Amino acid sequence: MDRSDRYSRQVIFAGIGKEGQEKLARSTVVVIGCGALGTVAATALARAGIGTLRIIDRDFIEYHNLQRQILFDEEDVRLQIPKAIAAERHLRAANSAIEVEGVVADVNYRNVERLVEGADVIVDGLDNLETRYLINDVSLKQGMPWIYGAAVASYGMMMAVVPGSTPCIRCLFPSLPPPGQNGTCDTAGVVNAVPMVIGSLQSAEAIKVLLGVETMGLICIDVWSGQFSRLDVDPRPSPDCPACHGQYEFLDARFGVRTTSLCGQNAVQVLGASDARLSFDEVACRLSPIGDVDYNEFMLRFDIDGYEMVIFPDGRAIVKGTGDESIARSLYAKYVGM
Amino acid sequence: MSVTVQIPHPLRTLTGGLDKVQAAGRTVAEVISHLNSEYPGVADRVYQGGNGLNRFVAIFVNGEDIRLLAGDQTAVQDGDVITILPLVAGGRR
Repeated sequence: MDRSDRYSRQVIFAGIGKEGQEKLARSTVVVIGCGALGTVAATALARAGIGTLRIIDRDFIEYHNLQRQILFDEEDVRLQIPKAIAAERHLRAANSAIEVEGVVADVNYRNVERLVEGADVIVDGLDNLETRYLINDVSLKQGMPWIYGAAVASYGMMMAVVPGSTPCIRCLFPSLPPPGQNGTCDTAGVVNAVPMVIGSLQSAEAIKVLLGVETMGLICIDVWSGQFSRLDVDPRPSPDCPACHGQYEFLDARFGVRTTSLCGQNAVQVLGASDARLSFDEVACRLSPIGDVDYNEFMLRFDIDGYEMVIFPDGRAIVKGTGDESIARSLYAKYVGM
Repeated sequence: MSVTVQIPHPLRTLTGGLDKVQAAGRTVAEVISHLNSEYPGVADRVYQGGNGLNRFVAIFVNGEDIRLLAGDQTAVQDGDVITILPLVAGGRR
């Protein structure tokens, strides 16, 4: 099989050319989180001929993922393969000319610098803001660009953060919102077109960053109402942005969700990353369509998937029915939000 | 001054589903206050109780971040477009 023209349509595009294609082949991109956004971005980047792709994810594939996570199929669910490994297999099948490495890991402040080692660009395929702020810290500390992307319900956002050339995510949004303020895919759902558009835009931005092309600014889309906007962000770092001034608060674990297994109780305590207070009325409104909710002014009880979550106004939660901290953290991210 | 305010998805429960509304004011703060009188609750999502603008919501006037202008005292002109943007989270699950 003649494979010499694999990238011909990219090479004849003036913005990339032969030299650009060779540069992509020498590049390393790390995709953190391989769900809706990550599968779309990783697919595009593998097919575009990025020389080395590292795909990091901690989860297994479930049936409800197949609606939008385009790299996976029913066989992957049946075989109970981790997302990172399934992604590696499918991407190798799509392009055997590149290196693909699937890593099954939960990215946190202890391991993030090791996991992104050697990356020319990091692509965000995450489901929570706390880890994104951690990536933002690593990006600024190491001068490593990252491409923020997010998708919920019918809307999404995307922005390339290139240290020295663009503001960072904390310049625009200095603090994490209180848990659950803006909904998650598990409470507000997601139209599959949104991560497909955002993930595709992330892949284009990653390629442009690798080739030294100016990025697009902050993109916001809503596929239901038809709002598409591009905001030119001021390239100057915000004067009071801690991350741009060398204070890596998430990397130093000064903020962030903390979990503690409650010994002998088959329960885990989760401490939220935000110090803002929760509105139980709002939380109950979001959660009642998907599980049993009961609350008073002191606590909100929520039953889901055989687990019981007791949530307090300061964002603290006790997850009962598991002693596994990563499950508790994941349930917190899904239903309370971080 | 009459301006157009683009309402982000999470705040549309407060505006009866409207994705953009007209509001009046000479500054961003006045526009938000006017908006809040029409759609109670908007100010609570934009301000942190008496402590300035919420730090997880960005506001742009004609595409410029007001944090780099005069914050909520940024002046607005007839026909300006104000965009309210809370940070969006989802993507992986």
